[in-house]
Amino acid sequence: MYYPEPISKLIDSFTKLPGIGPKTAVRLAFFVLNMKEDDVLDFAKALVNAKRELSHCTTCGHITDQDPCAICQDESRNNTVICVVQDPKDVIAMEKMKEFNGRYHVLHGAISPMDGIGPEDINVPSLLTRLKDEEIEELILATNPNIEGEATAMYISRLVKPSGIRITRIAHGLPMGGDLEYADEVTLSKALEGRREL
Amino acid sequence: MYIKDLHLTNYRNYQDLQLSFADKVNVIIGENAQGKTNLMEAIYVLAFSKSYRTSRDKELVQWEQNYAKIKGTVFKRNQTFPMEMQFSTKGKIAKLNHMEQRRLSDYIGALNVVMFAPEDLHLVKGSPQIRRRFIDMEIGQIQPVYIYHLGQYQKIVKQRNHLLKNLQRRQTNDRTMLEVLTEQLIEHAAIIVEKRFVFLDLLRKWAIPIHQGISDDKERLTITYFSSIDVSETAEREKIKTSYQSAFMNNMDKEIERGSTLFGPHRDDLLFFVNDKDVQTYGSQGQQRTTALSLKLAEIELIKSEVGEYPILLLDDVLSELDHYRQSHLLHTIQGKVQTFVSTTSVSDIQHETIQQAELFEVKNGTIIR
Ligand SMILES: Nc1ncnc2c1ncn2[C@@H]1O[C@H](COP(=O)(O)OP(=O)(O)OP(=O)(O)O)[C@@H](O)[C@H]1O
Ligand SMILES: [Mg+2]
Ligand SMILES: [Zn+2]
Repeated sequence: MYYPEPISKLIDSFTKLPGIGPKTAVRLAFFVLNMKEDDVLDFAKALVNAKRELSHCTTCGHITDQDPCAICQDESRNNTVICVVQDPKDVIAMEKMKEFNGRYHVLHGAISPMDGIGPEDINVPSLLTRLKDEEIEELILATNPNIEGEATAMYISRLVKPSGIRITRIAHGLPMGGDLEYADEVTLSKALEGRREL
Repeated sequence: MYIKDLHLTNYRNYQDLQLSFADKVNVIIGENAQGKTNLMEAIYVLAFSKSYRTSRDKELVQWEQNYAKIKGTVFKRNQTFPMEMQFSTKGKIAKLNHMEQRRLSDYIGALNVVMFAPEDLHLVKGSPQIRRRFIDMEIGQIQPVYIYHLGQYQKIVKQRNHLLKNLQRRQTNDRTMLEVLTEQLIEHAAIIVEKRFVFLDLLRKWAIPIHQGISDDKERLTITYFSSIDVSETAEREKIKTSYQSAFMNNMDKEIERGSTLFGPHRDDLLFFVNDKDVQTYGSQGQQRTTALSLKLAEIELIKSEVGEYPILLLDDVLSELDHYRQSHLLHTIQGKVQTFVSTTSVSDIQHETIQQAELFEVKNGTIIR
């Protein structure tokens, strides 16, 4: 079936979103056609603004609309602890928990040779610079508890160990092979308590 | 344990099939290419979540259809529970007791199955891969966590091989990452190898006397584990780790040169000896068959001793491959204790009271006509 060009472009855009197959894309596209024009405009603006106005914090790598981000600017936070996570979503999950008061470093991924991702393709170099320049006493490695996340934690640990900084890895209560963002807040808080020395 | 009933939807050449089985022997009879193996395979897939015939799940779905479903009711430990496997373009879904299982290691092991097909006669003669699969599947269904470790291990090997290739092509010279992956690999390799050693001890305990029995006391079977590293079968996990550490340390350059992981359980093998002679090299066809049969019979007893109940036995086309003597040995072992599925093109191939008392199913072109 042939759709007029504006519709097929819209369908094509929807298929680029994760979890959306061709059938759902068609349904969403036709739904948009029936929406009020104002709502559609708001929607389009929200999309563009989210992309334009958000960038990555040059210090920690978290998504932000100001640089440095609110967490990096917050002077009440503990400057001596950095929690290393894979994804901005992990920062949000940790913040919801309201138990961690240190700083973050967002790697944006994990080392995975089979996907062509080496240490320099994620925010490892910027972490090392930070450790040199700032006065950090402890590094909490909260990468995902799967093969790649573990390997990334071990890798960072090997590089940082000689500097004498305390390195811990969150461990307990997390499902092996799972993604951190699925962990509920209770398990996450347990995981933080049970972090172990690497 | 036994399967009470089976419901296939769009599975290979079965569009919609519902069957109830006898808890002892079920004979599937039919001409070639009617669906005997497909039916046996469905039971195997219900137990292991994948086929032994193909690694492409897509092939299990009936042509022109977009999903296939296998549902079975299992009776085990005085309980009846449903199991379900579904395959579609979106992947596969395993359900145990109506609940979806995210990890296969939470699913496999609920239903225990021992399969004996003509391919299994190659267990002795065939490639090491066949023997590794044999040992992995058997440990996995007794101890599902093994499947989890194996999956993790295979992933690490894949990562490590990629990194070794990158090092080989000088796209990177980061040996720290290689050390990390080596440490990860050793951690899982040692668990796997240790579990294999424990399993082999059990296997020997059953297989050796069974082999002696079938061979009328003339043959003494020995099974040894052939490892890619120098390690004793009595070694414990820490000792196994140390052996791997030195193997990897001394061969790092060689591994980079080859761009591949040279040590680990994915390189190991099983060796069978009859009266101290290597069966794979020197064994007669009869000796190879006896060895394969002893191993399968041992598996049945081993599962009974580890799980507490006899597994389900699938004999696809294999009875006719065994001579009268071996056949009756097999049938004698299972008689009255093991739910068994036997496929054949003609019952006259099989002369035994077990078969005479069996439930008969005649299959024709994807339907059961009797
Ligand atoms: N995905 C599929 N969809 C439909 N039909 C299929 C599919 N896969 C296999 N078949 C068909 O199923 C038929 C029966 O196969 P099966 O291997 O079960 O035969 P069999 O009864 O065991 O025969 P034999 O006695 O030769 O071993 C074959 O003709 C094959 O073409
Ligand atoms: Mg067949
Ligand atoms: Zn920041």
